[in-house]
Amino acid sequence: MKKIALTMFAFLCAVCLVLPGAWAAESVKVGVVLPLTGDQAKFGEVEKLSFEMAAEEINAAGGINGKTMELLIEDDTGRPEVGRSVVEKMITKDKVVLVGGGYSSSVTYAAAGVCQQKKVPFLVNTGSADNITTSGWDYIFRLNPPVSEYSGAIESLFVEVVKPQSVAILYENSLFGTKGAESFEKTCDKLGYKVVLKEGYEHGGIDYKPVLIQVKQLNPDIVYMISYIMDASLLMKQAKELKLTPKVFMGGAAGFTLPEFVTNAGIASEKVMSATLWHQVLPYPGAMDYYKKFVAKYNKDTEYHGAEAYAAAYVIADALKRAKTFDHKDVKAALAETDMMTIFGPVKFISYGKMKNQNRLPTYVVQWIDGNLEMIWPADRATKPIAYPVDWIKTWGYSSTAQN
Amino acid sequence: MKKNVILAILGIVFLVFPLVIKSDYYQHLIIIALMWVVIGSSWNLLAGYTGQVSFGHAIFFGIGAYTAGILFSKFGISPWWGMLAGGIASMLIGLFVGWVCFRLRGPYFALATLAGGEIFRLIATNWESLTEGMVGILIIPSFESKLPYYYIALLLAAGCIFAIHVIMQSKWGYYFVSIRENQDAAESLGINTTLYKNVSLLVSSLFTGMAGAFYMNYMGFIDPQVVFSLHYISIMAILVGIVGGVATIMGPGVGAFVMVGVQETFRSAFFGMAPQWISEAHALVFGLLVIFVIMFLANGIVGDWGKIKRNVFRIKASS
Repeated sequence: MKKIALTMFAFLCAVCLVLPGAWAAESVKVGVVLPLTGDQAKFGEVEKLSFEMAAEEINAAGGINGKTMELLIEDDTGRPEVGRSVVEKMITKDKVVLVGGGYSSSVTYAAAGVCQQKKVPFLVNTGSADNITTSGWDYIFRLNPPVSEYSGAIESLFVEVVKPQSVAILYENSLFGTKGAESFEKTCDKLGYKVVLKEGYEHGGIDYKPVLIQVKQLNPDIVYMISYIMDASLLMKQAKELKLTPKVFMGGAAGFTLPEFVTNAGIASEKVMSATLWHQVLPYPGAMDYYKKFVAKYNKDTEYHGAEAYAAAYVIADALKRAKTFDHKDVKAALAETDMMTIFGPVKFISYGKMKNQNRLPTYVVQWIDGNLEMIWPADRATKPIAYPVDWIKTWGYSSTAQN
Repeated sequence: MKKNVILAILGIVFLVFPLVIKSDYYQHLIIIALMWVVIGSSWNLLAGYTGQVSFGHAIFFGIGAYTAGILFSKFGISPWWGMLAGGIASMLIGLFVGWVCFRLRGPYFALATLAGGEIFRLIATNWESLTEGMVGILIIPSFESKLPYYYIALLLAAGCIFAIHVIMQSKWGYYFVSIRENQDAAESLGINTTLYKNVSLLVSSLFTGMAGAFYMNYMGFIDPQVVFSLHYISIMAILVGIVGGVATIMGPGVGAFVMVGVQETFRSAFFGMAPQWISEAHALVFGLLVIFVIMFLANGIVGDWGKIKRNVFRIKASS
């Protein structure tokens, strides 16, 4: 009996040590749903660190009119049904005033449904499938551009520099991938490029060679890929092994801009281009500061996902400061009136076309040059001149006589 | 007598639970657990009692969910009718799966059902005109309160367990067990083994399909990777059965609550009371639990209840 009593006591002590956090000074609770485990954990991590960094700064500067902004960051494990229950829990159990985050499109879409039904404002900062803001949901706000607009800068790059004839599109079979591929195909049709192949692949695959061989036979000018992290690196590595040499490898953001892309793909990442939504050299106030602070604090690189999260935290704080009360309705009204400058660009939620509460921002093209992510397009913002055309065989370190 | 008292108490606890615990969050957990009771029990009927270990229960779950979802989103038929339709559709598919897979025995049957699950997932992913592919189907759930869902899930779970109990008391039950113990001997005794394996599969697929349709109604969102998932549905069904106790009536019920409980406790890091890193280890804990159960409680919690009691008492005696 004594043993049991002792263990119980030890357990109670442990609980008491952990609990005080829950009784901190008066705070405003904001729920943030991100993938912290599973395939998309790397994206979730960079966003989580950025959210936390921003929250620290906001609270150090006085918080929300004197109250601390408390971020409740929870793991959606990258699965829509878990995302839904996490958001539900945040709303009903933790009574958050607003929900933020939302990484993968599938999870964000499913979670947005809950928020709309429960009438809780949800500021999406990454989930990009169009239907998140085209479903007519008035409680859903989006900071980042929808996936159909990711290719904006790519279009002008193609028209002015590459002038391709044919395009192959590879995408992950997910909400983000399918929608991105669909809208890129439309763009190609509009510009008169022939789409020789549009092929979805299964999430979690490890052998992309069958489809890459098909691409090699068709020999398109552009290979456009919409992928998360592991598949992005594998696609490029295997393309290198097969000596697949189009004019341009273009990634559709997501997996192609993370620092892990270089770590995983190695030399195969060199000279790969990607659409992006942000780069630290953009002339937005604080953009470069954020980048430097992040690198100094966490000793690792950051990119557009982190910037989205950091900016979202500031947008949330701004809306909460202006909200009349922390009632969901008032917070929503305050969010709708947002008109501010962030490191991610100007933020203002407007409705256009079928979109509702959508922030509108330009996109950019980046390229991995000597292992660094350099801005190459639009040309007037470029940090390095575009490396084009590329001699892939030489870049990848094959001796030129060994080719064929 | 003692058993009936326990059952009555359990029944009252479940009936009263949502009236006492008003938190949506805890109600949600119980609803999910009840849904798993249905899936685990149906799996147990086929695998535990009839000996046909299925690695493809996601097929029936997914068909049920998609039937309800498509009927509502394309034809505007109330998803509650979809629950019935989902069960029936899933039975029809079960007939087909049985026709193909029951030619195989043991591990080959298991592998065939595993492949079947993947096939259905790929069909749902690529048949975009019908299933919306990876966009998934989103409906706005019919009730805002959890109560109706709770009682529907409770009814479904109780109905499922009761039905299986009745079946196992009947002649069918003996046929099922005889097939499990020795199919050839059963055949030589004049039991139409193909017929009764299919009967078992049909009952199993009916309830799993209804659970799938319930999931659609309740969660309001499905996509192929959610409902045809090998990992999160097919394997989870097996784990619920194994942890609770294969070939016991209450086993999968207990297993469902244990699995859902453990998963959520660790995912939320002991409901936010423990440090965050614990939640990052939730998959690991899950694995350890399964290893522990297989090594020390091979018959599951219910099957090895005597053993658990003995060991717990011994610990008490020594301290």
